Amino acid sequence: MLDGVYGLIHGFSVALQPSVLLWCVVGCFLGTIIGILPGLGPAATIAILLPLTFNMDPTGGIIMLAGIYYGAKYGGSTTSILLNMPGEASSVASCIDGYQMARKGRAGAALGIAAIASFVAGTFGIVILTLLAPPLAEFALRFSSPEFFALMVVGLSLVVLLAGDSKLKSLLSLIVGLWLTSIGTDLFTGQSRFTFGYSELVGGVEFMVIAVGVYAIAEVMSSVAAGEKTQLLPVPRGLRNYLPSREELKACRFAFVNGSIVGFFIGMLPGAASSVSSFVAYGIEKAVSKRKELFGKGAPEGLAAPEGANNADSSGAMLPLLTFGIPAGGSTAIMLSALILWGFRPGPLLIVESPDLFWGLVASMYIGNVVLLIMNLPLVPLFAQILRIPLGLLFPMILGVSIVGAYAVSGNLFDVTSLAFFGVLGYVMVLLGFPTAPLILGFVLGDSMERALRQSLSMSGGDPMILIDRPIAATFLVIALLILLSPLVGRLRRARSDVVTAP
Amino acid sequence: MKLKHVVALTSIALAGTFAVSAQAEWKPSGQVNVVVHTGPGGGTDAFGRAILTALEKDKVLENTYIVQNKTGGGSTAAVNYLGEKAGDTNTIAIYSSVWVTDSLVQAEAKSTILDLTPIANLVLEPALFAVKADSPYKTLKDFTDAAKANPGKLKQSGGSVTARDAVVRNVLMKNTGADWAFVSFPSGGERVSALLGGHVDIMMIEPSEAGELIRAGRLRALAQVADARIPGFPDVPTLKEAGFDVPNVPQARGIVGPPNMPADAVKYYEALFAKAAKSEGYTKYLADTQLDNKYMDSKTLGAFIKEYQGNLRTILTGAGVKVVR
Repeated sequence: MLDGVYGLIHGFSVALQPSVLLWCVVGCFLGTIIGILPGLGPAATIAILLPLTFNMDPTGGIIMLAGIYYGAKYGGSTTSILLNMPGEASSVASCIDGYQMARKGRAGAALGIAAIASFVAGTFGIVILTLLAPPLAEFALRFSSPEFFALMVVGLSLVVLLAGDSKLKSLLSLIVGLWLTSIGTDLFTGQSRFTFGYSELVGGVEFMVIAVGVYAIAEVMSSVAAGEKTQLLPVPRGLRNYLPSREELKACRFAFVNGSIVGFFIGMLPGAASSVSSFVAYGIEKAVSKRKELFGKGAPEGLAAPEGANNADSSGAMLPLLTFGIPAGGSTAIMLSALILWGFRPGPLLIVESPDLFWGLVASMYIGNVVLLIMNLPLVPLFAQILRIPLGLLFPMILGVSIVGAYAVSGNLFDVTSLAFFGVLGYVMVLLGFPTAPLILGFVLGDSMERALRQSLSMSGGDPMILIDRPIAATFLVIALLILLSPLVGRLRRARSDVVTAP
Repeated sequence: MKLKHVVALTSIALAGTFAVSAQAEWKPSGQVNVVVHTGPGGGTDAFGRAILTALEKDKVLENTYIVQNKTGGGSTAAVNYLGEKAGDTNTIAIYSSVWVTDSLVQAEAKSTILDLTPIANLVLEPALFAVKADSPYKTLKDFTDAAKANPGKLKQSGGSVTARDAVVRNVLMKNTGADWAFVSFPSGGERVSALLGGHVDIMMIEPSEAGELIRAGRLRALAQVADARIPGFPDVPTLKEAGFDVPNVPQARGIVGPPNMPADAVKYYEALFAKAAKSEGYTKYLADTQLDNKYMDSKTLGAFIKEYQGNLRTILTGAGVKVVR
């Protein structure tokens, strides 16, 4: 642990050099911008900017790329909150309560909470990375497919809590999500499933296309259908009204801790998307909340938990990258290839052989998070002005940005058609009172869960005992069971109090 | 009638002009798009951007080359896209071995790699069989013997069933009569983690990915899947040297064009990448990432792909994978 502190002091001496500091700020700024634009994700931006970094000092270069990576998580929430349009896959969960806060006139507070949650959880993640990187990396290795499967079961059981008024409708929505995620090529047999002969479906349905369709497009359609009844969203006046109130921040206390821990933990597991950590943090937040009824209607803690989680997730993802040279996802994969191109040797010896790079990067992440907070908080009133745009202009803008975003993800026009399809689907679901969150959750978790199950069974030669034999997996399954039983406990307690209060 | 004659004459005249300009050396005008099948950060994407950056620095490229990501269905979306670009001279693509396998197993593919125009092969990719450093298996034979004694008990982490590591496993199992499980993971990171965590017993890994983990005493290389030992691992035997008389299953990356690419364009790009194969920054990048610099011209590449697909069809059918072409 002390090594970490000494290393960090050395790191700051690297990261605070003016030129390096400048690249950190540039990275954070770019990250914020691309976070706001749906379709253009951090992985694509890092890949496009890679050639530019070759004439730079490598430490400055990697610090800038990392800034883009975690900066995008800050920016992603902005459009989720203001327009119900997720800017990044990791900020889809932020739509649920963030947008409802904005509708209630708390857009500024929501943006503020997102920035604060991101800062708290992001910083927490880096502190853990500084102090515990090597032992935690060893711990993460004990995690394999059976543990992953159990973790996904926990995530999926949270659907029970995400459910709206009708459990049946939530279940149907979940099943559609699970089905959508099974479209595409089966990794284990190489055969395609549910492609209906469309070659465009061989790779499966793009997550961002579903999320933007079901949230943003469907929202525009509902608002237009509602006609004159819809008014401009209320925008508060006066700077003070833009910031979260004391009560709102107090409600988020647990969410900050929850988002930090869940995000970092899931982030350090290779193969887990950051959309997973934000949804799981959201589910947990609702599970333990004493005021579950407020979730989905603009609960500040329902925004703080996923926003915190997606930032802690990016610190978590740096752990396997820096300690083993193992990328946890697309963005870290391209950072890894950048390090190799620059002549570094990412792996267990990186920390010993290239301390300037390792500790400089870690220190820059502390600085980057402060920079992002400073950058984002004063921008809150500015961004909130978006809501002042007349709906006749705003709606076409949202549609335009969504369509361009969908096309940019894969460069296929088919994705634009899919976007329209999922927009209509989302609209019909809203009309018929089907909750959309279970569909998205099913889509996010279903794929990883199926894969983890089949991997576990190939490991054990088909013996399902592998899922409960292993202590970590068993613990998760017990947690899932408790979550599934929790509504029953509530009902029992209510029944008992009814009996007691009965005359 | 008159109009028709005029049209005919004009087209003959135009064709004449084109023929003349073709005799003078053809060059692409404007931007050249380089299609890759992985998203930004994926294997071929990273490879493509790195070599284009190196070639730009080496001053080999005379135009702007832009990487275009056409993702979906492994390589299927990219191959279909090229199919639509038939005859285009400003679009080329980086193919990898998965382009050859995907068209064998995916019925949805509208075009296949055999419809495309081969231009030049760039590299062959060697691989290593590696185990955890504390594993009881010191040689690949130790492993196959143990797998033979306990059928289905030992595990290999790898990619899809049609990926090269699955194919090599099938070839080895057939050769030795041993039988071990294959656990598919979509990303390389998950495969290495499963090996490092002791959840699987062996893995076929890229040398650049394994090198640092071996140097840090985490992994041990047992054998290399290559025709000759690669410079970074002079002490590790090839499959043949380790006593496995199996055909080498190559994995390659190279340049292809859309169907019916005009011959003068093929000639231009062929020459361009021949020059690239000797340029300084490019060769250094290949050496750093332990890729085998293996240029082949258009004709050789065409024959290579045909033979490769034929071999793969036999191996995949033997392994019980449904082949559609």
